[in-house]
Amino acid sequence: MVPRLRLPSGMTAAAPDNERYRMLIVEDEFTVLFALRKYFAAAGYDVDSARELEEAQALIVTNQYHVVIADLRLSGSSAAEGLEVLRFVRHHSRGTKVVILTAYGSAEIQSSARVLGAAAFLQKPAPLPEIRATVLRLLEES
Amino acid sequence: MTLFQPIFEISSDRRTRFAVEALSRGPAGSNAERADVLFEYVRRKGKEIEVDRACTSAALKAAAATAVECAVSINVHASTLERDDRWVEFLTEACAAHGVPLTRLILEIVEQQKFWDERRFFRTLEQLRWVGVRIAVDDIGLGYSNYRLLIEIRPEFFKIDPYFVTSCANKPEACAAIESIRVLADRLGGQVIAEGIESESDVRTLGCLGIHLLQGFYLAPPQTVAREHAMCAE
Repeated sequence: MVPRLRLPSGMTAAAPDNERYRMLIVEDEFTVLFALRKYFAAAGYDVDSARELEEAQALIVTNQYHVVIADLRLSGSSAAEGLEVLRFVRHHSRGTKVVILTAYGSAEIQSSARVLGAAAFLQKPAPLPEIRATVLRLLEES
Repeated sequence: MTLFQPIFEISSDRRTRFAVEALSRGPAGSNAERADVLFEYVRRKGKEIEVDRACTSAALKAAAATAVECAVSINVHASTLERDDRWVEFLTEACAAHGVPLTRLILEIVEQQKFWDERRFFRTLEQLRWVGVRIAVDDIGLGYSNYRLLIEIRPEFFKIDPYFVTSCANKPEACAAIESIRVLADRLGGQVIAEGIESESDVRTLGCLGIHLLQGFYLAPPQTVAREHAMCAE
């Protein structure tokens, strides 16, 4: 039987060989990042975070993540650097699931994200339980 | 933060401190605390020159603060030696400021690249040797640390990557690779430093292969300046 991590509100995540799921959160807004880190750490995930593209890339190259949650726009720019994070993850670690989180998601951007391999696309402000449920679903599918 | 990891010269009857390698770490608790994350980030931001200068200054300051009298090995990106036209001037001034003779320095070239401005890179190396600095090439056996690079640089020290060294007693293929590097170093007038020593059997095996400059957690882990000072004083 695969050991299961006990999460708040009775939800559990499968943990093969007792391994904790490793998560990278890429978000430049401090309060959002703080909330996501705290929430998923309490849920039993091993969480790293980055606030800019190059920092995220350095972490992706030097670590193995099960899931990456990335904001679409970093550093307050208009460029969709979140898509660059997605592209980078797909190149370096095809098994890693990427969830794009954004307040600016047009249908066109959403389509681009799907084509690049995003596993899910969530509109901000998404409730934390919804984000967690999405992540859990993706991890249990793989 | 600067840590020092000793490199020992080991013979059958004694063990002496040959050099210390200065290792840079980012703030504790941050992503940069791990050196691999720190320097991957530095390279992606294109800030090798600035960070190499800062790390070198910190290493020299730390070396001056300890009782270290042996050589001090400092890591520098190949790209810094290629692009920083005033690197030798900076190094000379930094050594003078901290009272560390240039002749005690070993510059360890890391992250060699496939394409570079060879003319500028080799001019910097030549200038470094003029002022008495010795050169080491890191991670030999992996990446771009190929034979052409070694022949053209002719480093005073060939640092073999831990991939080959760790547990080499149980890996005949790794021993063959190590031996080939040692033969090349001998022919080019250099010495081999084996990095990644994690057991007494590693020490014995490398001794049989004619390698006596050794570095690794089994001999001594990276240590704070205060700890290094205390050990040197003992």
